[in-house]
Amino acid sequence: MSGSDPVLSPSPLYWPVQRQRNRGVRALFCVVAAFVAIYAYLFPGLLSIGGLSKFCQSWFPLALVSMAQAILMLTGGINLAIGATVSLGAVIAATTMSGPLGAPGAIAAVAFAGLGIGAICGLIVVRLRLPAIIVTLAGSFIIGGMALLVLPRPGGEIPAWFSDFLAGGTPVAALLLALIVLAWKLYLATPLGLSLYAAGENPVAAYRSGVPVDAARIAAYAISGLLSTGAGLYVAAQTGSGDPVIGQAFTLNSIAAAVLGGVGFLGGHGTMRGAIAGSLLLSVMVNVMFFLGFPPVAQYVAQGLIIIGAVALPQIGARGRRA
Amino acid sequence: MSVPIIAARDVSKSFFGNRVLREVSIELRAGRIHALLGENGAGKSTLINLLSGALPPDEGSIEVDGAAVDHFTPSEARRAGVAVVQQELSLTSQLSIGENIGLGAYPIRFGLVDYKALARRTRAACAMVGLDEDLATSVGDLPLGRRQMVEIAKALYREPRALILDEPTSSLSAHETQTLTRLLERLRAQGVAILYISHRLNEVMALCDYVTILKDGAVTADRELAGVDADGLVRLMVGRDPGDLFPKWTPNVEGKTIISVRGFSCGMARDIDLDLRRGEVFGVGGLVGQGQEDLILGLYGARSASARVAEFNGDSGVPDSVLKANALGLAYVPADRKREGLHLIHTISFNMLLPGYGRARGLTFRDRTNERDLARSLAGALSIKGDLTRPVQALSGGNQQKVALAKWMPNKPAIWLLNDPTRGVDVETKREIYGLLRGFAAEGAAVLLSSSDTPELVHLCDRVAVMREGRIVARIEQAELSEEAIVAAAMGANLAERAA
Repeated sequence: MSGSDPVLSPSPLYWPVQRQRNRGVRALFCVVAAFVAIYAYLFPGLLSIGGLSKFCQSWFPLALVSMAQAILMLTGGINLAIGATVSLGAVIAATTMSGPLGAPGAIAAVAFAGLGIGAICGLIVVRLRLPAIIVTLAGSFIIGGMALLVLPRPGGEIPAWFSDFLAGGTPVAALLLALIVLAWKLYLATPLGLSLYAAGENPVAAYRSGVPVDAARIAAYAISGLLSTGAGLYVAAQTGSGDPVIGQAFTLNSIAAAVLGGVGFLGGHGTMRGAIAGSLLLSVMVNVMFFLGFPPVAQYVAQGLIIIGAVALPQIGARGRRA
Repeated sequence: MSVPIIAARDVSKSFFGNRVLREVSIELRAGRIHALLGENGAGKSTLINLLSGALPPDEGSIEVDGAAVDHFTPSEARRAGVAVVQQELSLTSQLSIGENIGLGAYPIRFGLVDYKALARRTRAACAMVGLDEDLATSVGDLPLGRRQMVEIAKALYREPRALILDEPTSSLSAHETQTLTRLLERLRAQGVAILYISHRLNEVMALCDYVTILKDGAVTADRELAGVDADGLVRLMVGRDPGDLFPKWTPNVEGKTIISVRGFSCGMARDIDLDLRRGEVFGVGGLVGQGQEDLILGLYGARSASARVAEFNGDSGVPDSVLKANALGLAYVPADRKREGLHLIHTISFNMLLPGYGRARGLTFRDRTNERDLARSLAGALSIKGDLTRPVQALSGGNQQKVALAKWMPNKPAIWLLNDPTRGVDVETKREIYGLLRGFAAEGAAVLLSSSDTPELVHLCDRVAVMREGRIVARIEQAELSEEAIVAAAMGANLAERAA
């Protein structure tokens, strides 16, 4: 790469902009760090390669779906089909992995399905000007049905070497996440990626400024689909087989994580780093409550209260400043 | 003489049968600052939208460098070198100053945004408008005036040949305005064509070379600015023949003061002293968005307000809720009837009866016969014809507005608060509404009418207060009411301004 590459070399504008974006999520990062510290204190095993790998594996799919959700929330939409798309990714992986094309074929099929489904949803929302919440709700039934058609009962097969590679005793998941984050940074440095914010916050003004609003939104849906089926592939590797309803819980958890991470519902507000931190917080929180001996029901209640608190605090703060 | 960079030739434009531009021509020439003046609703924004390709003209054509262009679109306008600084800001608050300025026209290197080139080019644009903030600052962190400067820098970044500024100084400080003035003079020297829309006449007089004035969608003046004074400009913007649109004004019996506030503040409206008497129509004038809506909503208890002293219909203190205000005899008719005034998909009779439902029947069952009779009598009184079980959205704008008024009438309000009740209403309905308002006053109600339609204020009101930047800047009694006086006060021109 040449020395003036905007991402890999310091630029008089790029890095200061990044620092600015960090400002909004600094408090969240502190909370996450505190929870990780508590977790490490309760469970010292976390601080070994094995412990870290295990934790990253449990967090990784949630991190992916949180990103998938955050992208759409930035465009001013929402994706209720994430869970179903994860399931579809899982069953496609489990049925094609042992097929003639092997693992590369399966990965390609999963990626193609994710991009395609996302792009179709995006086209429907953008071209027909329908609300995202309705289209993705309907999409969740259709995609969920497709997953059941591909694999009516849990089954299929993921080769052991593939599962070991992705979900064995090594921190491959953490590495993959780093790569995905880097890819996202590159995408956000393209005109289309950066346009996401403008298209989400004020589509009319963005259009008048010459931003390809429709293209930016459809691309966001496609990326969202890709991340969701990718999470499905990973879940299949973890369990060693495909399950057509395994993704269900991810829909609401992805919204919870994005909201915890400060991504707004109205579009154009929030950052991907926030959404990822939100998913980390959610994962750690569950583990901490487990180690503190909370009964499962109390965990759900506490989770809900924390989410409301996370959204309410900045609002109350803003009101305080205004008064 | 050279050909104009961009021009409109005999363009007309209608919205929903309402003609907002009639055979308007305008030429933007290199090296000239061209003022576009007109009252609210004169058609200025529509003309800008035509010149920037945001709307197509119904008739007439847009010419670039002397050649007519069919299908003049926003991208066509950009290619022709037309840049617009819109009145409503078009910035993305989460992106930085630099990313906002370059939005839609980023320099690209290897498929990525070239931040180095972006920084260089945006810095140049920022320097021109005197923006010295760090380019990485989020636009959301900037005060309104600075955002406006970013908006101007965004237009300059595109290196325009023709620059259109729609009220650029309304949110700028004196210092920023000065910077902008110097910048525009420099651009003029460089041969940029500038179209400058402003409500501040002294600015226009000081800066511009040429002026086009619109009145009711038609051009009333298109000439060099030299040799006209502010009085003359105001005269060209106002003064239409009221005809028999308005009921003949006759003074009502002067009644008791029913609302009295001192030091009333709400949102933009600041430190307002107001006495509203029974039997009068009290006008509130001024340019759009000078705090009139905040004043009305504050009085109505719909927005939190404060006052040093306040008395409402014998009750002390500002009402803190709409229900309280209703109980004190206040009724409110909003400007945006579709959003605030009516339930569009519900029936006409449902809408008419809505304010009465809670009160009329208590805990017993609804009395359908009574409801039907009431709705019928209201419809009859307001000459709303046809089936009352149709959804209200099936009615014309004028009839919708009548429903929005009618729904309060069974409550016999002692105080009517009306915000631009004739906006987008046809002439015939306007006449009816004017008659109703004078009628309410004659029956002893107090009517507070905020309006952007100056003739309405002149011919209907007993007194008019003119608001500017949230304060009352002039109070004009009926004997001295004229469109010139109101417009002059609204624009802060120092002619005919009367102290309170």
